[in-house]
Amino acid sequence: MNNQTPVQNSMKAGTWKKSSCKMCIHSCNTIVHVTDDGVINKIEGDPDSPSNMGRLCPKGNAAIMRHYDPSRFKTPLKRTNPEKGPGIDPMWEPISWEEAMETTIRELKKSVDEDPRKLLPSIADFQKLYLWAWPLVVGNSNYFSTAGSFCGGGYHPMNGFIHSAFAAANDVNYCNYWINNGSGDGFSSHLHTAAQAFHVANARVDRNMRVVCIEPRLSIGGAKAEEWIPIKPASDRHFALGMCHALIDEGLCDYETLKKDTNAPYLVGDDGYFVRNGDGKIYVWDGKDNKAKSYDDKTIGEFSLEGSYEVNGKKCKPAFQRFKDILKECTPEQMSEITTVPAATIRRIAREFSKAAQIGSTITIEDRTLPLRPAGYNYYRGAHAHKYSTQSNHAFKLVNMLVGSIDVPGGHVGATLDDQKIDNGHVAEGDSGQLLGTPHQLGPHPGFSFPPDNMDLMSYFPLGVHPGHLNVEVWKNPEKYNLEFKPDVMLICHSNPIWSLPGNRGDWFDIMRSMRFIVSIDIIPNDTNIFADIILPGHDALESWNMTMIEPPQTEGMCLRQPMTEPLYDTRSEEDIFNDISEGLGLLEVWNSVLNIVNGFEENSNLKLELDKKHGDKEIARRKGLNWNGKDLDWYIEHGHSVTPRRPDKWYKPWDGLRLLFYIEDIVRERDNLKQAMEKAKVPIRDEWHWEDYQPLPTPMLEPVLRDNGEYDLYAITFKDIQLNFGESLSNPWIKDIVYRDPVHTALQLNKKTAAEKGLKEGDLVLVESKYGKIYGRLGLTEGIHPETIGVSNSLSRMMAQNSGVPYGGGHFNDMLPSDLENTDACSAQCESVCRVKLTKLDHIPDELKGEGSLYAYSDRKAMQ
Amino acid sequence: MTSYGMVFDVKRCIGCNACTVACKQENSLPDGVFFTRTLSAESGSYPNVSRTYLPTICNHCEDAPCEKVCPSGATYTRDDGIVMVDAKKCIGCGSCAVACPYDMRTQIEETQVKGGLFGDGQLTPFEEQGYSRFECGTFTKCDFCSERVDAGKQPACVATCPTDARIFGDLDDPDSKVSRLIRDRMGRQPLPEKNTRPKVFYIE
Amino acid sequence: MFDVSLKNVLRLGYAGRTFKSGYRFQNYWDTPMATAFFCGETGAGLFILSMLLNFMPGIILGLLITGVGKTFFHLTHMGVPSKSWRAILRPDRSWISRGLWGIIFFVGFGSLHVLDQIFGVVPDQLAKPVYLLAIAGAMMVVVYQGFAMSHSTAISFWNTGLMPVSSMLYGFLAGSSLVMALNALGFDVADAGQFAMVITGQKILMVAVLMTVLSLLHNAKHGAKGAHQSYLLLTKDFLSKPFLIGVMGIGIIIPLAILLFAPVNFITTMTVTGTMLVGFYLYRILVFKAGVLDPILSPADIFKR
Repeated sequence: MNNQTPVQNSMKAGTWKKSSCKMCIHSCNTIVHVTDDGVINKIEGDPDSPSNMGRLCPKGNAAIMRHYDPSRFKTPLKRTNPEKGPGIDPMWEPISWEEAMETTIRELKKSVDEDPRKLLPSIADFQKLYLWAWPLVVGNSNYFSTAGSFCGGGYHPMNGFIHSAFAAANDVNYCNYWINNGSGDGFSSHLHTAAQAFHVANARVDRNMRVVCIEPRLSIGGAKAEEWIPIKPASDRHFALGMCHALIDEGLCDYETLKKDTNAPYLVGDDGYFVRNGDGKIYVWDGKDNKAKSYDDKTIGEFSLEGSYEVNGKKCKPAFQRFKDILKECTPEQMSEITTVPAATIRRIAREFSKAAQIGSTITIEDRTLPLRPAGYNYYRGAHAHKYSTQSNHAFKLVNMLVGSIDVPGGHVGATLDDQKIDNGHVAEGDSGQLLGTPHQLGPHPGFSFPPDNMDLMSYFPLGVHPGHLNVEVWKNPEKYNLEFKPDVMLICHSNPIWSLPGNRGDWFDIMRSMRFIVSIDIIPNDTNIFADIILPGHDALESWNMTMIEPPQTEGMCLRQPMTEPLYDTRSEEDIFNDISEGLGLLEVWNSVLNIVNGFEENSNLKLELDKKHGDKEIARRKGLNWNGKDLDWYIEHGHSVTPRRPDKWYKPWDGLRLLFYIEDIVRERDNLKQAMEKAKVPIRDEWHWEDYQPLPTPMLEPVLRDNGEYDLYAITFKDIQLNFGESLSNPWIKDIVYRDPVHTALQLNKKTAAEKGLKEGDLVLVESKYGKIYGRLGLTEGIHPETIGVSNSLSRMMAQNSGVPYGGGHFNDMLPSDLENTDACSAQCESVCRVKLTKLDHIPDELKGEGSLYAYSDRKAMQ
Repeated sequence: MTSYGMVFDVKRCIGCNACTVACKQENSLPDGVFFTRTLSAESGSYPNVSRTYLPTICNHCEDAPCEKVCPSGATYTRDDGIVMVDAKKCIGCGSCAVACPYDMRTQIEETQVKGGLFGDGQLTPFEEQGYSRFECGTFTKCDFCSERVDAGKQPACVATCPTDARIFGDLDDPDSKVSRLIRDRMGRQPLPEKNTRPKVFYIE
Repeated sequence: MFDVSLKNVLRLGYAGRTFKSGYRFQNYWDTPMATAFFCGETGAGLFILSMLLNFMPGIILGLLITGVGKTFFHLTHMGVPSKSWRAILRPDRSWISRGLWGIIFFVGFGSLHVLDQIFGVVPDQLAKPVYLLAIAGAMMVVVYQGFAMSHSTAISFWNTGLMPVSSMLYGFLAGSSLVMALNALGFDVADAGQFAMVITGQKILMVAVLMTVLSLLHNAKHGAKGAHQSYLLLTKDFLSKPFLIGVMGIGIIIPLAILLFAPVNFITTMTVTGTMLVGFYLYRILVFKAGVLDPILSPADIFKR
């Protein structure tokens, strides 16, 4: 239309290259525009990707501002100020890579040579999961982070048990009744947000999919839902159990599926173990012949789900009956008292859910006739991240299982983390026709050890995810936990534990200060690396190679990341850094062997890394691409990815012919194994271990946080939204520009009526105190929150001005959380994410919030701008 | 004739403001400058509460009040209905800004441009290549990404919208998606009482 | 004197520049623009009255207030001052354009008139047209700002015919008050008849301004949503103190009371002029500050959920 030079960035002279996003842990496909002058000036979603279809979330749209962030680490740095702490300038001094690596290797070696356990690693780049395995090289299994335990301690092992997968999602292809319990799936968070939001919006508009959100705070999903059901925090399991009660009580279950595709009919003895015959095969009760038979007996006329029997002199009941017995104490009326959700609502949702599940209906997909169950109960951190997380996770899965909704079209389906190879399946046969439960989705358990080999006590959690939060408990009480080593070096890689760990910040600072040496591989300053002695600056996601796919709910394949420009600064890839460290420690061959195992290169001689060579990010990316579909790097550079929709045979009932774990016997077995091991080793704390947390079926036990907490009359919850998902976002000027204008993220959210009862007003300054810690903040009143709840956006939990761009709030929500055993699920190692608090009105601005750098001053400026 | 307009599907919008950031990215907007924003509005009382997300953008009004009050002739309407500002002609009087019922005019201030997105007085290479389009002191606004549109692409905010809540197209074409959506789902214009004849429609 | 900054806005539940749907504030026209408006109306009012009275000190002061004061503050406000001349281009549709033409006529022909009075530079047959064109220009200046505001459908508080009326009345009131003040300072008005006329006029204008401002408030209270919100801001929220005490009390009630009940002397005259001008200036600022935009789209109204 005109011949003027374009002013819009995507229209300027330049080239588009394909890559993938790294603004959260997932990997949406992108196209990146680089001008002829070499400036990255526009990033869009790749329109050819069946995953995000050209879409990106706000964070993905803001990646350029991370790349050009002036506070990026530009060279290796050495601390010159021995004093460490938040807000204390480390007085970085630029040094050469030679000096930085030499120091790093020397200091690591000093400790590791003495005792490999003296290293505390915190390696958490989700898009390079193989780096997590590096500590194995030195025989170390410590873990100083929350990745896993905060969000998915109980979640991932349970997905492993139920789906043999890492994550799970409702099947948006067919779902018509979508329950979101404490989760943002499809709206604001979790798996491939932008991609899933697209599919969910289509389902809602095109198919009138009904969405029901059960959560204390009206989230984005709640706002879009047909029905928002406010619930008291940490009582979600009780809601689910109430639903289970109603489903069974009113005969609304998919009994055919329960009998045929689950272990619900398997007979369970009073000891919690299945009753087996001499061949080790599990008995079921044939209701027709009225006798016990092996589960695979062809003559079984009727799998009994209920009743009480005696087999070989052992009293037993079908697993289903065991659950029914538990549910006697879970009537909707009883559950209503705990959840504050009216009993009638619990019943109605159960009926609606069962009806929407269309029990008995089938669908034919690619010549396979599958059950069609267009109703799914989805949930995530808000619902399960509590003391009895294993039981909570199990309860939510059972709601689905009762109506036959697990892994079927329209239901609640397991999503694998990364299949590595297009032909890799993720399910295996377990004992007696059951699906093999695979709770260790992030790698094998390090095994029991006493004295413990891990400061986070992972040895005592055979079914758990590393409980990084317990590091502080053990560090403070080394005698109690028989810790025979004292960690003194830390290796951090793209991880910010000091921001993400629950518990008192002061204690965590003390741990950091007690380290003899800390090295951090990172891109920008954060709460943790401000304690480092050496900074090793990494390439950012627009300067490096990678090949990955992380728990996509709808798709599979590999996503390429490639450098868009030369590195802006004197940075290196993580691979180069770890190769050099390994070599410096004389362990390069071990590292290559570890890489071969964790990347699945082991089985293919063409892909196997040469043990004596160093392999960079590009080479590992190339081999991972080859491993997936045999395509070399040039193919990936052209196509950007090999993403396709999940193939129905892997997505739907990949375990066809096996039985789902309605009852999880492994939990009982692992409990007893641990008990024995602890007994044998005479672990002093064995008697105070919370053995009751190990339950093969969920019970209505009350979380400690739900029990009487005296003067603490409110529940505090924290939340993120789509602008703040996953890692740090608030140093990004574009994200700041939208977040600090959103009323949800600029004030503590309190119910209007509650505020009125307490004589509090909009804008009042308050102190929020739990038994463990406190924060200060300004109140924002809303109708969209449970009256007993105060909602604290993650945007408010910024304590330090270590990065001048990040406005600080009045403390950190996580300070108010416990980080003790009392509030840790002894089964999954999940920590509690909710706390009881009280509010006090302040008549003065607390020191924490004084100054122009506070986020309240900042957001007020934005609001007036 | 072509008459470009936009439909906002309020049922789809999740208020993520990816649109807002995509716009900043595409148009090199300084801190605090928006050509589009998605607002939220809470209504009802506990527990029957809802929150609605409302994308907003320049409505490219047929009777554009900003164009009428512009004393310098900087604001004009293209043949395809896109309301444009010629930054070379704008004097920065702000008449357009107080005339726009939708608060969609914004001034490019020298302090914003010179201060840089990171507020340290340094411009990133991204800003260096972007800010030359602006005349400091002038009032600017969304132009539906006219350069992208001329090249057959969707405006940046539309292209990135994760939920397809923004639909762009020709209002004069009765078969276009925008026309069909407005017809089928009773599209409504914002603040019709202001008599500006907006070319933006909301559906639910 | 009064805190008229908008920092309380959020606490009062307005949207400000947040992403909350609600009443948004215009801050595009702020103090410099308000000062320019104040100067324009005051200068033009003084000029017109002085022309009618043939009162040279008032004519010159009026020209200075508008020509220098208004121009200065306009240029301060303007984003691109060097291009401000372009505002003359669209008198066919823009009140700002028309106003600029008014200023040019007013200042141009007004200055010519002054030069003519002193040096006799204008041919006799053109003296009358110059005189009339200068007054016509000043008349435009005294009202156009009100029209520029009343034409904004965006800000419903402004969107009323009372805006140009208030501009004109305030302009003439300020003009008559300044004439009185100049007189008290020793720049004598020609004769006693004119003096009496100005005093009477001042009283009438003061009452008229009071009525106009009250009518504006009444209109706003019962007007569109945005106007009602402006009414609340001025009478109940954080703008109420400067408005009720400053604009109403100091600017209107006190000078009116003095005019009606106190003897005319140097002190009372200067007090009336001073308080009246303070009130007027605050009025100009507050009418801008109170300008709120209706919520873009009220979902509760449009979409019943």
